[in-house]
Amino acid sequence: MAESRNTESNKKTVLRRDFLRGSGAVLAAGTLSVGVSQIPAAASPQAAETKSYPKSTGYIVYDSRLCLGCQSCMFACSMTHEGVANPSLSRIQIIRDAPSFTHYPYDVVMSVCRQCVSPLCVQNCPTGACHVDEENGNVRRIEPSKCIGCRRCIQSCPHKPHRTIWNSAKNKSTKCDLCADAPYWNEKGGPEGKQACVETCPAKALKLVREAPPQMDISGYDVNLAPPPRKMGFPGMGMPKTESKPAAKKEGA
Amino acid sequence: MANGYAGKILKVNLTTKEISAIDSARYEEFGGGVGMGAAIFWELAVAPGDWDLQDAFDPRNVISLMSGPLAATGVPGAGRTSVCAIAPETFPTPLFHRTSFGGRFATMLKLAGWDGVVVHGKADSPVWINIVNDKVTIEDAKPLWGLNTFETQGEITSTVAGRTRFDLQWHQIEDDYTTARPQIVCIGPIGEAMTRVAALIHGSGVSARTGGFGGVFGSKNLKAISVIGTGDIEVADPAGVVDTRLWHQRNFARGATSPGASCCMPCLNADRKRNSYYGGESMCADEYWYIGPQTGAPMMGGSSGHQMRGADVAIKWGICTWATKFGGAITLPAPNAPPPFKGQLPMEPGMGWYIKYLYELGVLGPGRKIDSYPLPMDQWDTLNFREVFCDALTRKIGIGADLAEGVLEAAKKWGRLEEDMNSGALRLPAWGASWHHSLPGVDWAYSYIFMSGDPMWHGFFGLGGGGGFGGPATYTAEQLVETMAKKVVPFDGEPLIFSNAWKGEDAWKTGIYSSYKAKMLAWARRFAGFYNESMSICEMLLPNFMAGGSAGPSPELEYRYYKAVTGSRNTLADTIEIGRKIWNMERAIRVMAGRHRDQEKFAPFMHMPGATFPMGGSKAVYQNGEWSFEDQNDLYLDREGVEQFKTHFYRLEGWDVATGWPTRSTLEELGMKKVADLMDAKGKLGG
Repeated sequence: MAESRNTESNKKTVLRRDFLRGSGAVLAAGTLSVGVSQIPAAASPQAAETKSYPKSTGYIVYDSRLCLGCQSCMFACSMTHEGVANPSLSRIQIIRDAPSFTHYPYDVVMSVCRQCVSPLCVQNCPTGACHVDEENGNVRRIEPSKCIGCRRCIQSCPHKPHRTIWNSAKNKSTKCDLCADAPYWNEKGGPEGKQACVETCPAKALKLVREAPPQMDISGYDVNLAPPPRKMGFPGMGMPKTESKPAAKKEGA
Repeated sequence: MANGYAGKILKVNLTTKEISAIDSARYEEFGGGVGMGAAIFWELAVAPGDWDLQDAFDPRNVISLMSGPLAATGVPGAGRTSVCAIAPETFPTPLFHRTSFGGRFATMLKLAGWDGVVVHGKADSPVWINIVNDKVTIEDAKPLWGLNTFETQGEITSTVAGRTRFDLQWHQIEDDYTTARPQIVCIGPIGEAMTRVAALIHGSGVSARTGGFGGVFGSKNLKAISVIGTGDIEVADPAGVVDTRLWHQRNFARGATSPGASCCMPCLNADRKRNSYYGGESMCADEYWYIGPQTGAPMMGGSSGHQMRGADVAIKWGICTWATKFGGAITLPAPNAPPPFKGQLPMEPGMGWYIKYLYELGVLGPGRKIDSYPLPMDQWDTLNFREVFCDALTRKIGIGADLAEGVLEAAKKWGRLEEDMNSGALRLPAWGASWHHSLPGVDWAYSYIFMSGDPMWHGFFGLGGGGGFGGPATYTAEQLVETMAKKVVPFDGEPLIFSNAWKGEDAWKTGIYSSYKAKMLAWARRFAGFYNESMSICEMLLPNFMAGGSAGPSPELEYRYYKAVTGSRNTLADTIEIGRKIWNMERAIRVMAGRHRDQEKFAPFMHMPGATFPMGGSKAVYQNGEWSFEDQNDLYLDREGVEQFKTHFYRLEGWDVATGWPTRSTLEELGMKKVADLMDAKGKLGG
């Protein structure tokens, strides 16, 4: 992905691994289900096209080729937010394919909340629990005291797997807040502070950026974060050629 | 209970199909991992007193797969699974052995609510154990029997959680959700056949490669254990765990390579290559399995296509690549080697290389004294040979029937054992275990004889430079020993314990045969027993004693992790003392299985020139009143010196010097009165 994902043509590509289901799409098998009659009325998904929200001042981008698949970020996330270690509660999900034996670079999938410019989770929340936090750089977050556990935010998240997380013990949804509210951490979080996942990543495969990445597909988020190759050879001889990363797998391949 | 433990241990009796839970708190005095596994083995296999502990394939053998309290908490490298049981691979008899494997099994076991799984008995037909949080079932494995390890895991993955196809979805388990796959440990056909060289395979290349525990699974008709969990692990100080982790990472992490892969979940080392065939999970032993001594062997991570295909065969069949090596990690020049060696020796030879050696000698081959049927010896260098080799062992046809019993049993049957152990053709330092950095690090070598083979502990390996494949040391020998002497409570303040002097009087007074060296070994076993084998921290990650030119973070770093997770009031010295307790529990089991001082001996080649291979290693020595680093590529052990060392070591450990058996006072001091009583009743207590 890295070598081609910054090209104009690929920006328009909807990749299988991060398929945008689009507003109002039918839930795929395996996503959270809830009785429709229990869901309070909410804004129409179609309204997302017209309603605008202030952009977040921070976004986590990642490099799926650089990721070690170690899932350190998942433990850091659940530990700093929930005070327990539980990858199921992590707001970032790293899916490592073993033992399915998929080969690099498709052996690891990084599922990171995009802090969407048009956040359907916010728009579809019937209580305002999922909101744009203007006091914390407009990060999209869920206020637990207002969450009624209807799971609208989970159903409306257009990404696969959905980035909003279900906490069955609390019967509430959660999502990435860029560590604006990470009570079990001694660092200042939020878009202006540090994020536990970014800090913990040993591969530096996660990074906070200020500008909103292109929203069409994953190419704006799954970016090349590899450090520049170390200079080798004699002075004045220039940089040696480096091995290029393998080409991206085409959709449906 | 916010102390890192899941709280219960799963016990499965395959004979009765009884599934039960043991309260983990009963064994917390042994830490976790090997400590808990040994204590449970004592209770279930030794204490009943109806088994002589000799046959690894006896249904009464108890195999435990244990995590530690630090697993599934975010502590890097703490996700290893410890495995304990009577091992079929050791020689001349099966011995109580412990090994471990990385990956994600232990972490997932914790998240499912279990600190470990203990299996005993024997199923009357093939089964696999399916753990989905608290729900545990024994499933029919007849359709899986005969499948390779990849096929087995693929089938189980598609079966777990109601035949869900795992892809990029969240998957519901009761009220919870996960994006994780089930984590599976299984055996291949070589384990099913109850050979003595079968591994436990997990994922695409992680495995327990020593001990032959795949054969123990096979003897129990146990094809696999699968686990998936969605629970919490509570720790005493969540912020402390994260803070310690970040401090560790910012100051001492090795740094990622691109694109690297971690083996354990989680880790902070990228010691494997994610873009290798196995997603970074296969290790050197697998990748070198296909490399003969005549072939150049690129180091780990730079594997060739040949290596990949060789590893593919080994992992899918489920063979112990350690015991059956065809070459060595490094091919070393040996000008004085006998002609068949062609001037070169592998550093870590195994079964595959040995049969080539005998072929070159002219004693093994088609129609020769040792008939090689069905092995195509003229194709020894090929991948096809490896396939035939595995098939022959599995079906136990022709020479495969001999080799399935292990290389030393085969050599014994062929009447070559004594000659080839004396010549060094069978370079197995003790108990039939492969050579592995055994010298010049004498703590490593001594561990072989007091345990059941390779300790797999690199803790002191690289100190001094070169010996750890690094460059020259960035500190002086005096700086090294003074730094180290501050780290080894309760033996702190004695730099001489790090002297590796092996020549002249110094060797006996303060060097490798002295009471000082006994303290170094004792500390190594206690530290490793607690932090690496029971807290299950990967020994390739920690300890880190010297970082650059100054003191590394160990053992304080491991202790910080331990405190943050468990909230224990134990001091660092207390944890080392728990390590002593674990060490004595292991010792008690081995003694009950027949261990005696007289058996704790090295193979003859360890006492001859050539015992150490020229790896460019250097060690700190105190000679003629001065410290220096010494190249010890020519080190070998004096027989009487080793005997003196044993006496020092037994005395230090509170074991009878004549027998090597723990005394009552030692065991009672450690709170192990019941163990002492049983040993006394069996006439196995030291005087």
